[in-house]
Amino acid sequence: MNLNLSLLMPEWAAFGSLFVLLFLETLRGQKSDKGNLGLKLSIVGAAATFATVLLTSSSSGEAFGGMYILDPFARFFKAFFVLVLAGIIFISSRHFTDETSHRTNDFYLILWCTLMGLFFLVSANDLLVVFISLEIVTLSFYIMAAYERKKMTAIESGLKYLIVGSLASAFMIFGIALIYFAGGTTSLPEVRIAFGEDPSNRLMLLGMLFILSGLGFKVASVPFQLWVPDVYQGAPTPVVAFLSIGSKAAGFAVLMRLFFTVFPGFAQKDLLFTFLAIATLAYGNLAALVQTNMKRLLGYSSIGHAGYLLMGLIVGRTAGGSALLYYLIAYAVTSLAVFLVVTIIGKKTESNEISAYRGLAKRSPFLAACLFISLLSLAGVPPLAGFFGKFLILFGAIQTQHYLIAVLGALAVAVSLYYYLSIVRVMYFEDSSKEDNDIKLCPATKTVLGILIVGIFVVGIWQAPFYNFCQQAVATLF
Amino acid sequence: MLYFLTWIPILAALGVLFVPKENDKVLKTIGFIGTGIPFLLTLYVFMSFDVARGGFQFVQSVDWLPALGISYKVGVDGINLTLCLLHALVSFAGTFMANRTQTRLKDYTFYYLVLIGALYGIFTSLDLFFMYLFYELTLIPLYPMIGIWGSKNKEYGAMKLTIFITAGAVLALVGLIMLYVQLGIQSFDLIEITNVLNRTPLETSFQTVVAPIILVGFGIMASIWPLHSWSPVGYAVAPTSVSMLHAGVLKKMGPYLILRVAVGMLPEGTMHWAPVLATLAGIGIIYAGYAAIKQTDLKYMVGFSSVSHMGYVLLAIAAMNEVSLSAAVLLMFSHGVMAACVFATIGFIYEQAHTRGIRDFGGLGKKVPFLATVFVMASMASLGLPGFANFVAELLVFISAWQQYPIIVAFAVFGILITALYLLRAVQHVCFGPENPRWKNLSDALSWNERFPYILLLGALLLFGCWPQGLLRIIQPAVGALLP
Repeated sequence: MNLNLSLLMPEWAAFGSLFVLLFLETLRGQKSDKGNLGLKLSIVGAAATFATVLLTSSSSGEAFGGMYILDPFARFFKAFFVLVLAGIIFISSRHFTDETSHRTNDFYLILWCTLMGLFFLVSANDLLVVFISLEIVTLSFYIMAAYERKKMTAIESGLKYLIVGSLASAFMIFGIALIYFAGGTTSLPEVRIAFGEDPSNRLMLLGMLFILSGLGFKVASVPFQLWVPDVYQGAPTPVVAFLSIGSKAAGFAVLMRLFFTVFPGFAQKDLLFTFLAIATLAYGNLAALVQTNMKRLLGYSSIGHAGYLLMGLIVGRTAGGSALLYYLIAYAVTSLAVFLVVTIIGKKTESNEISAYRGLAKRSPFLAACLFISLLSLAGVPPLAGFFGKFLILFGAIQTQHYLIAVLGALAVAVSLYYYLSIVRVMYFEDSSKEDNDIKLCPATKTVLGILIVGIFVVGIWQAPFYNFCQQAVATLF
Repeated sequence: MLYFLTWIPILAALGVLFVPKENDKVLKTIGFIGTGIPFLLTLYVFMSFDVARGGFQFVQSVDWLPALGISYKVGVDGINLTLCLLHALVSFAGTFMANRTQTRLKDYTFYYLVLIGALYGIFTSLDLFFMYLFYELTLIPLYPMIGIWGSKNKEYGAMKLTIFITAGAVLALVGLIMLYVQLGIQSFDLIEITNVLNRTPLETSFQTVVAPIILVGFGIMASIWPLHSWSPVGYAVAPTSVSMLHAGVLKKMGPYLILRVAVGMLPEGTMHWAPVLATLAGIGIIYAGYAAIKQTDLKYMVGFSSVSHMGYVLLAIAAMNEVSLSAAVLLMFSHGVMAACVFATIGFIYEQAHTRGIRDFGGLGKKVPFLATVFVMASMASLGLPGFANFVAELLVFISAWQQYPIIVAFAVFGILITALYLLRAVQHVCFGPENPRWKNLSDALSWNERFPYILLLGALLLFGCWPQGLLRIIQPAVGALLP
């Protein structure tokens, strides 16, 4: 068996960071964290891990006897996840301030565990590895969702996530078992061959549908979306951010590998995914119209975004795949900016109701402008990042003659603009109550938020490098 | 050269961000620079445009996303040069009004300059992707501008306007992508697409499907009946300079893109749907005219009047011949200048009086003779008095559309009568009649600074009213190139 451990450089780096943090935690015990050592180490670790991802950019291959694969697609997601993690770490450091500080480092530890899971997930070349790494990710999220254990809502959201998530895991493992029963293997390339020989094997199709259900839970697609609003509302904001970006991207990474590479000949793919995409898009966008809680609204809107991403799956081929990846980049940079602002406002006003954003334009013009831009980017207004993601998805849909989803996707932009602009309206046109003071930002927050906003513009305007990068990443899938 | 038109205002807007907000003087200067230099540049381009050569001039191109065939290409022919000139006039005049903003001048100047830059972007771009990009970019500054600085009901108006225009834009985007895919030449470049289409036009069946998508999508911006309802509300609540720009320039983006895409690329499809378009335009003219009669608020009245006038533009486009399309472009120009002038006048009075009720005024002719004169002149232009450019344009619309749509043209001519009715009534109530003592302290536009925008706009109307050939000589060849 060929171990090929050198391919696992990014994993080693992530593991190293995890180990150093764990060691530090054990040495220090319950003492409070002076000088934000955990934060600094995590950032350094993220930078180092990102560097190793870049270093491996020329090597591709399989490890652990074919259970692990490193290809441009996996590398894309590793770079993606590590950058998202850096953002989440920063948001966490704004969220877990003083009173909970001695537990902040534990939180970073769990974040790093999640990253390990995500790394193995995108490199998984065997259904069992997919399952195990997905479980690592999901288990970490169970803990993080209920991390603020003194808050009732956090406990509730953790429990809800756990119950629905366990059900999804059960579906998934059952599906894997069915596929093993039908094909006699769990290795993805071998399943691909088995499926290619007999694309109408009922057991295998059934197994595939069960796996799809499990993944539908991760990406928050209808009809597996019920947990989203409650968990988003109750869980700590950095966790929500990670859920909405990381969990969704992870789910789509696996979906792409499965439906582009392993089951390309699945005959009802179009019908099934068209149904899912339209239902998801409609449910998310319509339900978001009436929300009064910011995080709940973002939950529904993230369901809506899952609808667009599912469209990318329908389109398929390089066009759909690269559109999907571009959408994920845009969604990630925009969501990080949104959730950073939500975290800051949540800390200052101790509320996540939309009414807490009243008069934000006067209390902090900078924050209001950042939220304005990022919300427009989520809605898909040019020249911001979200626009080009949606453009590519629509473009692909029309190219492959899926006119129905193209028109519905286009009209959903107008619907989503309504609820995003409602927040802008509250920020800009309504006055705050008198006792609210100006919101002061520390330089670090300003810098990070500034970088994210510039990122939204760059991804939206200077598309060529990102687009080529996405195209290269998906090219090997087919 | 043409890149500067877009980027000077946008760079000026970025410059505004670094000016402290108390420093009104610097902010106003930046506003003037950001719109003044593009104004002069546009005049220069207009003067040095080679009429004999025709076609697209000042063409420049930057590769943007070669994988999809997107390039940032600019250039002008007679059609968009005329609209650039319109935009230059209105935006420069609008700056004088924008600088009268009392609250949060810094934010206002910033949004205003971004809006100006985006509009130049639409009218100079020759790449469908960038046209669309700038088209929607205009929405970003518009929403806060109307929402913050607008008057009563502003939130409703701002939201309605944004949602309507976005819905239309994304619909049109679907149409544009369908066109791109069908062409199969991997290019959004307008000139290249036109060249290919001249050799091998698209199938008629495809054209008939896509043309209505484009017509409705961009038609919303041109306030096509029955999708016009965002327009009067939006204009009524918007601050003065936004109303000027929106009624004067933004609304012309709709017919402009219809001309470029629907007429230029899908002529058979547009021809197929032209009777429907003409009918809707005819209904719009009468319906909006009738609605304008019923209004008691000056801005609502002018808002409905602009819907009615866009009906003439759409009717001219539906007639699809060289004269009618030239008339459409000329009417876009003259209506734009006229509407901007009217909104500027109303804005000036509203700032002091805080009311726009038609019956609240009276005898302003004595009190504020200059403004009243401007108002009367602009109204006369609007109802098509000879001597103003509007007269030439409307006359050409009637003549050229008569052959295809005699009944609708008859209704449209009747529409002029309705226009006369509501405008003359407004003029009578506002400018003449007994002096209302409430407005004792109303002051006129006295200084050169205050009078300049009105003189500029009315001057342009009169100039091209007496010398329509100045514009028609560049419009006509460009329009001729559009038609197959």
